[in-house]
Amino acid sequence: MNQLRAELLKIRSTRTTIGLLLGLIALALLFTVLTCTLTPSPQLLTEQDQSSLLSFGSIAGVFAALAGVMLFTSEYRFGTIRPTSLFNPNRTRLFATKVTAGVLSGLVFGVIGEGLVFSIGMIIFKIRGVSIVMSGANMTELIVGAIVGTALWGAIGVALGSVVPNQVGAVISLLAWGFVVENLVFGFLPKVGRFLPVHSSDSMMGPIQDKLLPGVAGTLVTVAWALVLAIIGVAMLKRRDVS
Amino acid sequence: MAYVVRSDSLTKRYGDVLAVSDLSFTIEAGTITGFLGPNGAGKSTTLRMLLGLAKPTSGHSTVFGSPYDQLATPALRIGAVLEATDFHPGRSGRDHLRTLSWAVGIPDARVDEVLSLVELQGAAKRRVKGYSLGMRQRLGLAAALLGNPDLLVLDEPANGLDPEGVRWLRDFLRDFASGGRTVLISSHVLAEIAQTVDQVLIINHGRLVTESTLDELTARVGGVVRVQSPQLDTLAEALQREGIVTSRSNDHALLAQGTTKERVGDVALAAGVAIHELVTEGSSLEEVFLDLTSEEAPK
Repeated sequence: MNQLRAELLKIRSTRTTIGLLLGLIALALLFTVLTCTLTPSPQLLTEQDQSSLLSFGSIAGVFAALAGVMLFTSEYRFGTIRPTSLFNPNRTRLFATKVTAGVLSGLVFGVIGEGLVFSIGMIIFKIRGVSIVMSGANMTELIVGAIVGTALWGAIGVALGSVVPNQVGAVISLLAWGFVVENLVFGFLPKVGRFLPVHSSDSMMGPIQDKLLPGVAGTLVTVAWALVLAIIGVAMLKRRDVS
Repeated sequence: MAYVVRSDSLTKRYGDVLAVSDLSFTIEAGTITGFLGPNGAGKSTTLRMLLGLAKPTSGHSTVFGSPYDQLATPALRIGAVLEATDFHPGRSGRDHLRTLSWAVGIPDARVDEVLSLVELQGAAKRRVKGYSLGMRQRLGLAAALLGNPDLLVLDEPANGLDPEGVRWLRDFLRDFASGGRTVLISSHVLAEIAQTVDQVLIINHGRLVTESTLDELTARVGGVVRVQSPQLDTLAEALQREGIVTSRSNDHALLAQGTTKERVGDVALAAGVAIHELVTEGSSLEEVFLDLTSEEAPK
């Protein structure tokens, strides 16, 4: 618990996290206001039309993953990995603590991201007189899926930061994977692409898009991705000398 | 005897490079030990192995009888500063310390105490990127002191410090060790720490070259002890009677060759001579150091 408090303080005590949060809020507001206002009403008739727009809050996963990546890569970049390792010599425990901190900060990103998108989107729909066809269960799946998915991206980010301790390398890897590689694979080979982490976590929000996995399967696959990366991350942390 | 630090045949190889080779030494409680060697001699690698940051290729080491990472909360017994720059520039000095102290349950009152001890309380809430090098050095030291340790390990702490900073550090370390606590301090410049340490470990190309007290080292290779006294002639005669060769410096001090401060002091006391200055000449020590570390790397 002490170690977790210390890791959470690391997240809170620099401007990086605030910057990421402000970036998320700005992006979520901009996208939601523009798309919910400008999308023609005939394209907002089905449950999938509506949930697809309101799922944009899951973009918080990118920000949560970046915050998670920073938890390890900042330590290597600024050399604080040395005092951190001296005060926390059990590397498995250090890794587990950072992953927990990554999940908790991911939850916060998820609540803010999906909370903003969903609430503002619903208000705009109401103002425009769009009839809400999503069921309560669909809404719950959408919101909970987005938040839990974002939290898992926090864990994935921490693990990635341990596997690729170079900050620039880790951030570029993350963004290139999320925005380019996965979309290409899903576009050309959706049966493969839906098992990749961005699309498996998307499926946690329900049927927001065609060709995704069922929700439960998507959750299990995303957790499996986080676990596999965590196993590689902790193994590398234990093996690597702190220079 | 229970040693504070014990290194048994520590060896570290990075590919084809043998950074540390079969290094064995011990450090007793209450001593200030200088860990000396030129840049690249393997000092930092050795310290990292002692502190569980790097795994030895072979051999092992203990601190207070156990490998560092097997001690229960080692930060409460051992404080270490390995680099002067290990801070997130956007974090305040106080928060940097709290990210460490909270991890091992040290209260915030202790954080404020060590900030005050290193004279940084006024800058505690400023972000570290606004700190001078001397302030960063002291913040690193504050982190090492958080757990009120019995052993302090410092890697090249005087690097980049101005003379005032070096003096501050020297006084601080003397004060720290005066209570029976132990200091291991590395440097590539003997003169920098000669006035601070009791004993030296000298390594070169990853191998131990010498392990001795500073005065033994001086005496072994013909060091010079500089003395000032109102009765220099009487003292010179007394020293010569003991077989110690003396000469005069340009500023009329007496230079005793190939002996130790303790020996000169004892002779002066026996002869009833007052001593106004008694120092081992640093320049000759530096020559000794250079001599010991000038060998080519083993093929």
